[in-house]
Amino acid sequence: MKEKKESSCYRIMILYVLLLGLLGILMGVNLCVGSTMISPGKCLVLLFGESGDFVERTILFQIRLPRILAALFLGGALSLAGYLLQTFFSNPIAGPFVLGISSGAKCMVAVLMVISCRVGWVLNSLEMILASLAGSLLATGVVLLASKKVKNMAILIVCGVMIGYIGSAITELLVTFAEDSNIVNLHNWSMGSFSGITWSNVSYVIPVVMMGLLSSMWISKEMEAYLYGEDYAKSIGIGIGTFRLILILLSSILSATVTAFAGPVSFVGIAVPHVIRRMFRSAKPKILIPACFLGGGVFCLWSDLLARSLFAPMEISISTITAIFGAPVVLSMLFHRKEKSE
Amino acid sequence: MIQGKNLSVGYGTDVVIEDFSFHVEAGCITALIGPNGAGKSTLLKTLGGYLAPLSGSILLGGRDALSISPTERAKFMAVMLTSRKPVEYMTCFDVVSVGRYQYTGRMGNLTSKDEEKIEETLAFVGAAHLAKREYDTLSDGQKQRVLLARALVQEPKVLLLDEPTSFLDIGVKLEFVETLKKLAKKEQIAIVVSMHELEFVKQLADYVVGIDSHGTVKYTGKADQILIPSILEDLYEMKPGSFLKLYQDFTKEPVASTHQEFSSHSFPCKFLMVQGTMSSAGKSMVVAALCRIFAQDGYRVRPFKSQNMALNSYITEDGLEMGRAQVLQAEAAGVKPSVYMNPILLKPTSDAGSQVIVNGKVRGNMSARDYFAYKKELVPDILHAVEELSKDADLIVIEGAGSPAEINLKKDDIVNMGMAKLVDAPVLLVGDIDRGGVFAQLLGTLELLEPEEKERVFGLLVNKFRGDASILDPGIAMLEKRSKVPVLGVLPYLHHHLEDEDSLTEKFTNRSRNQISIGVVKLPHISNFTDFDVFSTMEGVGVTYLTNPKEVCSDYDCIILPGSKNTIRDMQWLRESGMEAALLRYHHEEGLMIGICGGYQMLGHSIEDPDGVEEGGSILGLSLLPVKTILASKKVRKQTKGQVEELPENFLLSKCSHSPYTGYEIHMGETTLDATLCEGAECVAFTEQGTGYCTPRVYGTYIHGFFDGGQLSHNLLYALGERKHLAVESLEVRDYAMIKEEELNQLADTFRQYLSMDAIYEKIGLHPRKSS
Repeated sequence: MKEKKESSCYRIMILYVLLLGLLGILMGVNLCVGSTMISPGKCLVLLFGESGDFVERTILFQIRLPRILAALFLGGALSLAGYLLQTFFSNPIAGPFVLGISSGAKCMVAVLMVISCRVGWVLNSLEMILASLAGSLLATGVVLLASKKVKNMAILIVCGVMIGYIGSAITELLVTFAEDSNIVNLHNWSMGSFSGITWSNVSYVIPVVMMGLLSSMWISKEMEAYLYGEDYAKSIGIGIGTFRLILILLSSILSATVTAFAGPVSFVGIAVPHVIRRMFRSAKPKILIPACFLGGGVFCLWSDLLARSLFAPMEISISTITAIFGAPVVLSMLFHRKEKSE
Repeated sequence: MIQGKNLSVGYGTDVVIEDFSFHVEAGCITALIGPNGAGKSTLLKTLGGYLAPLSGSILLGGRDALSISPTERAKFMAVMLTSRKPVEYMTCFDVVSVGRYQYTGRMGNLTSKDEEKIEETLAFVGAAHLAKREYDTLSDGQKQRVLLARALVQEPKVLLLDEPTSFLDIGVKLEFVETLKKLAKKEQIAIVVSMHELEFVKQLADYVVGIDSHGTVKYTGKADQILIPSILEDLYEMKPGSFLKLYQDFTKEPVASTHQEFSSHSFPCKFLMVQGTMSSAGKSMVVAALCRIFAQDGYRVRPFKSQNMALNSYITEDGLEMGRAQVLQAEAAGVKPSVYMNPILLKPTSDAGSQVIVNGKVRGNMSARDYFAYKKELVPDILHAVEELSKDADLIVIEGAGSPAEINLKKDDIVNMGMAKLVDAPVLLVGDIDRGGVFAQLLGTLELLEPEEKERVFGLLVNKFRGDASILDPGIAMLEKRSKVPVLGVLPYLHHHLEDEDSLTEKFTNRSRNQISIGVVKLPHISNFTDFDVFSTMEGVGVTYLTNPKEVCSDYDCIILPGSKNTIRDMQWLRESGMEAALLRYHHEEGLMIGICGGYQMLGHSIEDPDGVEEGGSILGLSLLPVKTILASKKVRKQTKGQVEELPENFLLSKCSHSPYTGYEIHMGETTLDATLCEGAECVAFTEQGTGYCTPRVYGTYIHGFFDGGQLSHNLLYALGERKHLAVESLEVRDYAMIKEEELNQLADTFRQYLSMDAIYEKIGLHPRKSS
């Protein structure tokens, strides 16, 4: 018994170190690579010294650093939101994107953006988050209503996808009627991208996401019991109603934050928790929550790196990259499940 | 511990169970029983706090359940529900550790005390060895044990279980029930369990609550007061009496009582039973003779033997298997053989086991021990067979098996006295004087019978006597005096060619070499060796069993590979004993070989057993025929009729072309011509519809009884004789069926002469000659 526990502890430690290492490396690479290449040595000088080229300094501090932090935290948030939703629906293919929550948030933000442009009012970060939250909660509410009606998980996912389409359709409609100047902005954003993130954005992102992460850890014990079914969790004294509410709120806040700043990013919410679960060979929330967060950060840093450097100076949408890497993972998971159930 | 007061439960306005009060003490087990939808689960859910009671109250340890916080309730009561969610990557230890929820801190870290408790509980439910296993990989039974451990680490005072034994196999159910009992006693836990398996409720529960389909709590009380047929039939809305049929065990009456019940059935015909003092005492022949006598006297008579142990089986027109002894007896009675004449047939397969065939259908393989325990279940099948036979019979003559005085095996007997009792038949006891000690046989057998069994024996027969019967008279007088049973006949030793049932008798061996000699390879698992009986009826033809490769020589005009119960094993034997080499040498020395069924398969190139019908794997055959056999579990059983195909001139048996045959097929698997092996080989079809192929000197067919037709065997012997330049006229070849008929009449005549038929007629209550 002891042996087994120690060996699995060991494994988890190694994997955490691995994730953190990857994170560090990717952050470093992300700092250096771009349309203007900055050598690692220069980077260090710029970061910790006073001197250095002004342009490079600006690029590093005003563009790359906030973008890296955003990719890290928003990626983590997205992956975590996916994990929470999967726990909530006990369905491994649930995620903010497939359930239409991201699109709901996107739609609401787009509405607000267009309206605010008309009246000549610029949205600040907080307002963006709130609008996005409202949208994601609305979409989540619809999904929940659907989940009351249909018990079949596959059908629920289809409902989510439909909600997503409705959200996107509305957004497209708005783009059509938006002023020219906004279209580029809106379009870029609605495709999902980490570009244009400012320090002010980051100053909102980090506290909100950290709050989500810590709260998730706080309810990890309930989540573990919930894995065995609602009835069981109830029988060992968990207030199911409150717990479910907290869970859904947390995931909504996390995915809303991501959508508010980076637009809808696909597949991170499904693929990352799945890969993490298989790597850690564990289902314990208190292990998986931080791991999913780190994994999401790593994945988004990597994807963002490719998105902006692959066809530099042109930038492609982050969802393109996440889909390329994420979709096969999801497919393999589905096949894996199919085999298992047969 | 847990108490309900005027409780009503249900969903919203839908009241499922109304106004119900109860109290479950610590250490007591209460079972909820009742039909599906009675509301057992609803009641359990209400007790477990999932549903609020519609009215009334639940007291947990004396406190109102509603005033207890969920946390406290979880420490007081554990619930095990039927739903089971799969959880990936969780070990059993992890699963059980969740049960410690209320004892661990915010992050759910286990202290060493928690770990101890978990390990202790896993050990208690017998799942300690599973701790490291992933939960999802467990069997249902193991999962259920782990879930019980998870409930127990809550350290509850009350345990609720919703149908915990569903989906478990019966052995695991029993184990689970035992664990629960141990638990209630040791931990003084009050257990409430809903269950459908009444036999386990009886094992488990102290108290039983019976809820009917309307949700009324109809019966409550101690388990043994509720678990009685009348209440259960009412509760489950079953027809009166139907419960007893299902659960005979509940009546606490011995199984024999059901026999009694059956034996009260009266059949519309008379019975006579013939038992012997030993195997081969001549029972079969006595029954055959009696059948013929009764048939000659105008009665519709049927032979019957409840159980046969023999390698030889006969296939009836319906494709069902039965023993051959009853076939001969049926012929004696002048009727077609029916599988009901021999409802149970045991065919030995390996040293310890037999294939059990009941009313013509295979029930499976059983060891002697298993069969001994199982056989009493076959009484209804036996009675069914008797009933079918009695429909159009005046009289059924029953043959016993072995000796009725095997006192170690007498329990649950269904072949000798047990059978006689079932149908209330008078018994004739046959002793064999040829093997000596006939007085001791008869008297000793009678002595070992129970008084009421002895009463059934109304006459003794001395069989196989050679010489002057008057020598016996003083002995017979003394025997009658001591046994108080009359000797009804002294029967002479008869030479006849009628088929023999047991493979043990020494019929074939050491027949002196004749003009035509045929060798039959005596395979260890030889079957259906009556295929060659036809030859022994022919003058000038000798049949010899070959057990040793040295015996195989070119003196034999033909060597036959017979059928086998286990082809692959026997092929291995052929190879290892050197018989294969001897046979191949015989073949190269221009010898003629014929394979029947299993023997045919062995003559082929290979025998494959992909489904493990016999031993599994595959084995190369003698490769004398370009065919391949693949064994399959589907058994081919049918009677066939046909003609030998047109054989080319250079084929040794070309004389047999177009000879008709009637016989039967009984084999598992298919043998097909392999085109690649055929090249260069002179191979043509031998029998119709792909049942056999041949080359000039090697012949194979699936047809049993192939040689029985007069014309075919005549042509065969003609062909064999021609090779040796023998005048075939010197071979007397007759139709086997005709010989049989003649011999049966002879047999009957002899028996009439030496048997006091009048005494027998009187005992069974029939007139010596049927008035028409």
